[in-house]
Amino acid sequence: MRASSDVGGTFTDLVFYEVDPATGQCGAVRTAKADTTPPNFDEGVLNALDKSGVPISRLDFFAHGSTVVINALTERKGVRTALITTRGFRDVIEIARGNRPDLFNFNFRKPKPFVERYLRAELDERVTFRGEIKRAVDLGPLPDLLDHFRWNGVEAIAVAFLHAYVEPSNEQAVIAEIRRLWPEVSVLASHEVSREWREYERTNTTILSTYVHPITQRYIERLEDQLRDGGYNRPLYMMQSNGGIATAKAAKANPIAMVESGPASGIFAAAYMGRHIGEPNLIVLDIGGTTAKCTLVEDGEVKVTTEYHIERDARNPGYPIQTAVSEIVEIGNGGGSIAWIDEGDKLHVGPKSAGARPGPAAYGHGGTSATTTDANLVLGRIDPASFVGGEREPDWAAVDAAFAPLQERLGLSKEEVARGIVRIANANMTAALRLVSTNKGYDPRDFALMAFGGGGAMHAVALAEELRVPHVIVPVNSSVFSAWGMLLTDLRRDYLQTRLTRLDPVSAPQIAEGFAAIEQQAGADYGQGDVGFEHFLDMRYIGQEHTVKIAAVRSPDGTIDVEATREAFHAAHEKRFTYRLPNPIEIVNFHLVATVAVPKPDLAEKSVTGLALEEAVIGRRTVDFDQHGIHEAVIYDGLRLEPGMSFAGPAIVQEPSVTCVVPPPHRVSVDRFGNYHIHLAA
Amino acid sequence: MQHDIFTIEIIKDAIVALGEEMFNAMIRTSMSPIIYETTDFAVGATDAKGNLLAQGNGVTAFLATLDTAVVSLLEHHPDPASIRPGDVFISNTPYAGGGTHLSDVVILVPVFDGETLIAWTVNKAHWTEVGGAQPGSVSTNAVDIYQEGLRFTFLKLYDRGAINESLVQLIRDNVRLPESTIGDMHAGVAAARVGARRIDEMLARYGRDQLLTAMSELLDYGERMTRAELAKLPKGVFEAEDIVEEDGVGNGPFVVRVRVTITDEEMIVDYSGSSPQTVGPINCSYTGLVTGARCLFKAVTNPEIPANGGCFRPLRIICPPGTIVSAQAPAPVSLYYEPLIAAIDAFWKALAPILPGRLPAGHQRTVGATFISGLSPESGELFVMGEPLVGGWGASAGLDGDNGQFCCANGETYNIPCELFESRYALEVDQYAFHNEDGGAGRHRGGKGVVLDYRVTGEEAFLTYAVSRSAARPWALDGGQEGSTNYAEIHRRDGTRDRHTMCTTVPVRKDEVIRIFSATGGGHGDPRQRDRDAVRRDLRDGYITVEQARRDYGLEVGGEGA
Repeated sequence: MRASSDVGGTFTDLVFYEVDPATGQCGAVRTAKADTTPPNFDEGVLNALDKSGVPISRLDFFAHGSTVVINALTERKGVRTALITTRGFRDVIEIARGNRPDLFNFNFRKPKPFVERYLRAELDERVTFRGEIKRAVDLGPLPDLLDHFRWNGVEAIAVAFLHAYVEPSNEQAVIAEIRRLWPEVSVLASHEVSREWREYERTNTTILSTYVHPITQRYIERLEDQLRDGGYNRPLYMMQSNGGIATAKAAKANPIAMVESGPASGIFAAAYMGRHIGEPNLIVLDIGGTTAKCTLVEDGEVKVTTEYHIERDARNPGYPIQTAVSEIVEIGNGGGSIAWIDEGDKLHVGPKSAGARPGPAAYGHGGTSATTTDANLVLGRIDPASFVGGEREPDWAAVDAAFAPLQERLGLSKEEVARGIVRIANANMTAALRLVSTNKGYDPRDFALMAFGGGGAMHAVALAEELRVPHVIVPVNSSVFSAWGMLLTDLRRDYLQTRLTRLDPVSAPQIAEGFAAIEQQAGADYGQGDVGFEHFLDMRYIGQEHTVKIAAVRSPDGTIDVEATREAFHAAHEKRFTYRLPNPIEIVNFHLVATVAVPKPDLAEKSVTGLALEEAVIGRRTVDFDQHGIHEAVIYDGLRLEPGMSFAGPAIVQEPSVTCVVPPPHRVSVDRFGNYHIHLAA
Repeated sequence: MQHDIFTIEIIKDAIVALGEEMFNAMIRTSMSPIIYETTDFAVGATDAKGNLLAQGNGVTAFLATLDTAVVSLLEHHPDPASIRPGDVFISNTPYAGGGTHLSDVVILVPVFDGETLIAWTVNKAHWTEVGGAQPGSVSTNAVDIYQEGLRFTFLKLYDRGAINESLVQLIRDNVRLPESTIGDMHAGVAAARVGARRIDEMLARYGRDQLLTAMSELLDYGERMTRAELAKLPKGVFEAEDIVEEDGVGNGPFVVRVRVTITDEEMIVDYSGSSPQTVGPINCSYTGLVTGARCLFKAVTNPEIPANGGCFRPLRIICPPGTIVSAQAPAPVSLYYEPLIAAIDAFWKALAPILPGRLPAGHQRTVGATFISGLSPESGELFVMGEPLVGGWGASAGLDGDNGQFCCANGETYNIPCELFESRYALEVDQYAFHNEDGGAGRHRGGKGVVLDYRVTGEEAFLTYAVSRSAARPWALDGGQEGSTNYAEIHRRDGTRDRHTMCTTVPVRKDEVIRIFSATGGGHGDPRQRDRDAVRRDLRDGYITVEQARRDYGLEVGGEGA
C-alpha cells in the first residue's frame, strides 16, 4: 500500500492505492479527507489515515506534504531568532533592497525583518568575493553573545557572513563553536541553506529557515513517532518545493526547502503525466478556491527557480527565499473570488475571496458577494442538482441578492453580469498564463494546457481558446492531484553554486571541476551511490545581471560541450529577449539536480468494460457558453466514461468535484488512464 | 453587442498589462546595474497622438517622460509620411518632451494597423555612459549641455527595419563603455518591440475599432477615478517653499516655491517665483517639473490605479520658462533630479498638514547618487559605478518613518548587493548600516538614514557625488524634530577627512575610505510624548543613543540599555 497526504487550508487529503506484489500493477486510487487541525497538523494526517481504514502497518511507502513551514512564517509562529553576521552588516536585513513597489504611496513601510535589531550581532571576519579569507573570524566575543541571546529567550541562531557562498570556513567555525557551547539551540549557517550570492536574500533565507527549524523538527519527529507506533517502519518522506521528496532527516536539516511544497507536487504530477501520454510540453494551471497557479513544463521538465518570495505582490516587496522552488505565477483568482465594481464603474473579480467561510453566496452560509462560482452556477455550467457534490441546494435567493447591486450599477441582466464575471476571471487567468508563456518567448500553440484543481476543468477550454492552445487535458484524479503527485516523485536535491566562470574552451576544465565538486557533495549528502545528475548553468552576457538557465550540453565522454552550450545559451536568450549579442558569456551559477529514484509501480490504466457512451449520459440541461451561445448540453458522468470514448460539445463532464465545460464544437476523448482530452476546433 | 462592455474592459486590462511586460523585458536584458538594480527607466504605450495609455515604472520620476516625448516627436516630424512601420526613434534632448538629462535616452516605436499609425511604445532608460567630459556623464561642474555628453533630438535609429549603422558607430565612438551603452540601446529597442508585438496581437484579436474605443475609455476611466479622489480633498490654497543648496560651481541657495490651489474641478500647481536657472548642472527642464508635479498629484489622489493620461487631466501646472525647474538651452542639467525632487517635496510640504494619512514628514530628499570610477586592478579596464543611496523617510501621524528607503523619485529601485558589487568594481564595502546622527526625534520617530563605506582596493579611484538637503534638514510635522543631512567624507590614509556635498572626480587612493551619510527623516509630534516603552525599545535596539534618549525624549536613563 502506497499513500501520501497533503495538508490544505481546509482539508487534509489522503491518497492511497494497493500495489499487487505479483504484477507490480497498482489498484484504483482511493482518497480520504479529514479536517486540517492547526496547529497540530499531524493529528489531521492521522485522522485521515484512520478514516481511510488502512492500518498504518500495511503501508509500504508514505510521503507527506505539509504547510507547517509556510504557516509558521505567515502567522509568525516561529521561535525567537538571533542573527550573527559580518561586522558592519547587521542592518542588511532591515534595509533589505530599499525598494518601494507601491510607487506613489508615500506612506509606505517596508516589511519588518524577522530578527529585531538588538538580537543582530556582528563579529569581526571578512572573506573576499574571490573566496580569500581576509580576516579569520574572531570567536572571542561569542560566549558573551550567547549569554545575551539566552537571557533574551532566543531559541534559534542564524549565522550569515559575506561571501560565505564561496568560502564558508568562517561560518563553519562559528556554528561549531555554538554547538559546543550551547548544544540545545537550533543553529543554521547561510552556506548550509544557499550557496548563491546576494547577501540580503541569503541571510533572510537562513533566518527564515532557522526561525521555523525547531517547530518543523518537532512536527516531523512527532509524525515519525506516531507512524512508528502504528507499525510503519520505513522512511517518512517529505515533499519539497523543488518537486522532489526528501528523507525526514534531510527535511529537518533545512526546513525552508519545504516552503512551497503544496503547488510543487501538483506541477510535478502534471509533468509526469505529460511524459506518459506523449505531451512533454505543457502549460499547467491549478485553479483552487482563492488562487490560480500556473507554470510551464518544457520537454517534460518542471522549471525551478531560486528567485522566490513570500508575501510579495504589486504593492509589497515581501521576503526573498533563495531556495529551489517550482517556478509558478500565482494570482488571486479562484472559485471564491469576489466580483466588485470600483469608483470608475469598472467590474473586477478578486483578489478578495469569500474563502471557505462564508464561501460563494450560493453556499447559503451568509455570503453576500457574487463570486466566480456563483456566476458559473447562474450560467448553468455547474449542476444545481449536484452542487458541492450534491450535498446541498444552491441558495438562489442569496445569489439573486448578491447579483442585484452589480446589475443595478451596470444596467445589465443577471446572466449578462455572470458572463462578465466569468470573462473577467478568465482574462485575469489568461494574463497569468501569458506571463509564463508568451512573455518568456514561448508560443502557446506548441503546448497543451493541463488544468486541475477544483476550478481547472471549468475554465480551461475558454482559456485555451484565448491563448490559442489547441489541446486541453484534464487529468484523472484532478481534484486530488497534489497528493497523488507525491506518489510519483523521487528524492531530489538542487545544488546551486555561484562561481563566476567564463564560458570558453579554456575554462572547460574549470567547468568540469565545478560540477565534479558538487556531484561529490551530493553523493556524500545522500550517502549512497545510485545518484542521477542533471546539469544546468545560469548564464549571462558579460555585463548583464540577470541570468538565463539552460541545460548544459554534454559531450559523449561526459564533459561539457562548450561550443554547443554557448549556442544553446544564445538561442535561449534570443527566444526570451528577441536578440543575441556577440559579447562573451559568463556562468554565474552551477546548478546540479541530484536525484535518487524511488521504485514505483506503473500508472494505473482505467478499465474498459464495453459500456456504451449513452450509458454515461446523466441527462441534458441548458448551459450558457457565452460567445458560443446558449445550448442544450449533454451531461456526462465522468466516473462512467471509459478509455476510447469520444464525443463533441456542447457538453458537460461531471465528477463529484470536477465540472468540465465543453462548448461546441470542440471534441472530447478519454485516454487509457482516464484523462480527458479536449481538442479545440480550429 | 450586449456584453461589449466587458470586451472593452478586457482590452483595457491588456493595454495596462503591456507596461509590466515591457518592464520585465527591460530589466532582464539590460547591461548596466543602474537599469537592472536601480530600475532607472520607464516603459509604456501611448495612443497615436501621445496620450499615455499605460506605463511600467521603475521610478516615479519618469511619469511625464513617455507621453511628452511622443508629442514632441510628432512636432519634430510633422509629415505623417516620414513615420513608417519598422522605424525606431531615439532622443535625449532635455529641452523637449521626454527630456530629463542626457543619460536618460528615449526609444520610440510607432505601431501601425496597415498604414495607419495607431499607437506608440516608448521606453526611457538611464544609460551608464553617453560621453561628455566626465565618466558616467554626470558632473557637478559642467556649465553647459555640451560638456554633458551626446545629444539626440528625435533621430531615426531604425529606418523601416534597417538599423542606422552610422548613428550606432557615432555612439560607439563617443562613449567610454561602448559595449554597455550599445547593450542598453538594444534592451530598450527589445522592450519597446515586446509592447508593439502585443498591440499587434490585440489588433488581430479585437480589431481596430474596439481597440481604439478601449484606449479612449481607458483614459476616461483614469480621469473618473482621479476626480472621485480629488472631490474628497480639502479645498483651498496651500503654499510652501524650500531650497536647493548649491549648483556645484559656487552659486546658491536656490528657492523652489509652490502655490497649490485645490478646487472641485482641478488642482493648480504654480511654481512661479522659483529661482532663475543657474550656471551649474542643477537645473531641471520643464518635462522634469511636469513629472514631479504629476508624481505628487498621483500620491494624493489615487496612488493605486495604473497611471494614464486621463489621470492628469484635472492637473494644471504653471511655471514661467527659465527657472531652476523649467530651465532652457543650453543650461547643463545632469543633476536635474535634485531640483525635481525639491519640486515634489515642496508640493508635498504644502499639502502634508491637510493630508496626514497620505503624507509623512520630510525625507532625505536626494537620490544620493554616488559615482566612482577607476581602473580594475586585475583587468586594467575602466569601471564606472553609479548607485543611489537609501535614506530615512519622515514619520507620519501614526507611524515611525521607514528606515533606509530610496527617495520619492525612485521606487522599484534596488540597492546593489555588496557581494555583486565587490565582484564588479575595485571597491570593498566596509559597512552598510544605520547611523546615529541627531535628528528626527518625535512622538513618532523619523526613519533612519544610513552610512555606507566604500574602501578603494585599486591604486586610485575618483569620486563624483552630488546631494541636496546638505544644509536644510528634512522638515518635521506637528512639533517633531527635523532630520539630519546628507554628505560624504573621504577618510585619508594620513588620518584626515574631507567632507563633500558636491564634487566631481575627486581622487581617492588605495585603502582610503569614502563614507556616505544619508539623512534621517523628520519626526512627527513632540518627542517627549513618545510612548516610554517605545523609547526604551529604541534604546535597546540602538536606534537612539543614551544621550538622545535623555536630551530629545526626556527619558531618565538609569543604567538601562547603556
